[in-house]
Amino acid sequence: MRILLVVALLLSCGRIMAMPSIEIIIRNHLFYPSELTIAADTKVKLIIVNQDASAEEFESYELNREKVIPGHSKGIVFVGPLAPGTYPFFGEFFPKTAQGHIIVK
Amino acid sequence: MLINSVIIVLREVLEAALIVSILLAQGQVLSLPRVYFMLPVMVGAILAVVYASNIVAVSALMGGVGQEIVNTVLHGLIVICTMVLIGAIKKPQAKLIIIIAGAGCLATAMVRELAEIIIYINGFASVPSLLSSVLAGSFIGAGIGFSIGVFFYYLIVAMRPINGLRLSLVMLSLICAGMVSQAIQFLMQADLIPSHAPLWDTSAWVSEHSIMGQLLFALVGYEATPTATQATGYGLALLLAFILAIQKPRCDDVARPKGVK
Repeated sequence: MRILLVVALLLSCGRIMAMPSIEIIIRNHLFYPSELTIAADTKVKLIIVNQDASAEEFESYELNREKVIPGHSKGIVFVGPLAPGTYPFFGEFFPKTAQGHIIVK
Repeated sequence: MLINSVIIVLREVLEAALIVSILLAQGQVLSLPRVYFMLPVMVGAILAVVYASNIVAVSALMGGVGQEIVNTVLHGLIVICTMVLIGAIKKPQAKLIIIIAGAGCLATAMVRELAEIIIYINGFASVPSLLSSVLAGSFIGAGIGFSIGVFFYYLIVAMRPINGLRLSLVMLSLICAGMVSQAIQFLMQADLIPSHAPLWDTSAWVSEHSIMGQLLFALVGYEATPTATQATGYGLALLLAFILAIQKPRCDDVARPKGVK
């Protein structure tokens, strides 16, 4: 049983390590980059780094994702696998400026 | 910023206000002292402050998905307490279970919803130019949310008890199913369960961006693009709630006349 658990853990770690990751910076209530391109049917790890003092909520209705990123901290959000298309995301706390989208090809 | 604050706070307050109003109304029908429900609200508010104060540490847990884990646990607790409540609410002898499940439901709902409001408002402490409009918007949003809660409270209390009970059970079931769907979403977001393409897309009819979408989200857990896992979880939660709700009280649950053994 223990061996099975270790194998499952290693497989899981390998899966996560092989997963592409993209860093998104929040600065002055803007996303950098605001446009990301990822491959279709691929799971991606988004590392969202909030450099502002104020919190922000990464939100996307199209991706079904929402996560509070406190000021001067970072958060991880997994997205995908996704069908080709454009998936907007925004900062719920500063929606007028904090906007971006993911292009899936 | 004012309108945005109104919408954000209204959405958070509405879910908690609905749960509080339904439980207070049923407490009134069952002649339960309000302290049983007001105390957990206060405990929940204190725990929400603790959660919001430690959000950075919580977020960093378990490789950066601690927030999703905590939110899943909170949603799970609300679902369990609500299911217990739905099963017990028709049984006159189950007052203690109703009080415990109701208290658990209220305290957890307060932690979940209030913590996000605290994080939101606190974030603007470093932006003094926006703080006043954020506070004003939050106050208006909270006021609207409380008003809707008060409306449902008096609506349930004013109805015939059986109809008030039916409405309460329907609303609790829908809120519960919505919580299951949200919990599944958090687990997918944390990559703890597989994520799939949406089963359908109703955003052209009712967008989640719209006021109607936000209200439906709070009332029935509306999701425009749910995955198969979310839809299944939602359906199963509704089914379980329905089975619990239609259960007839056992003979020994029904109060017997004095002197009858």
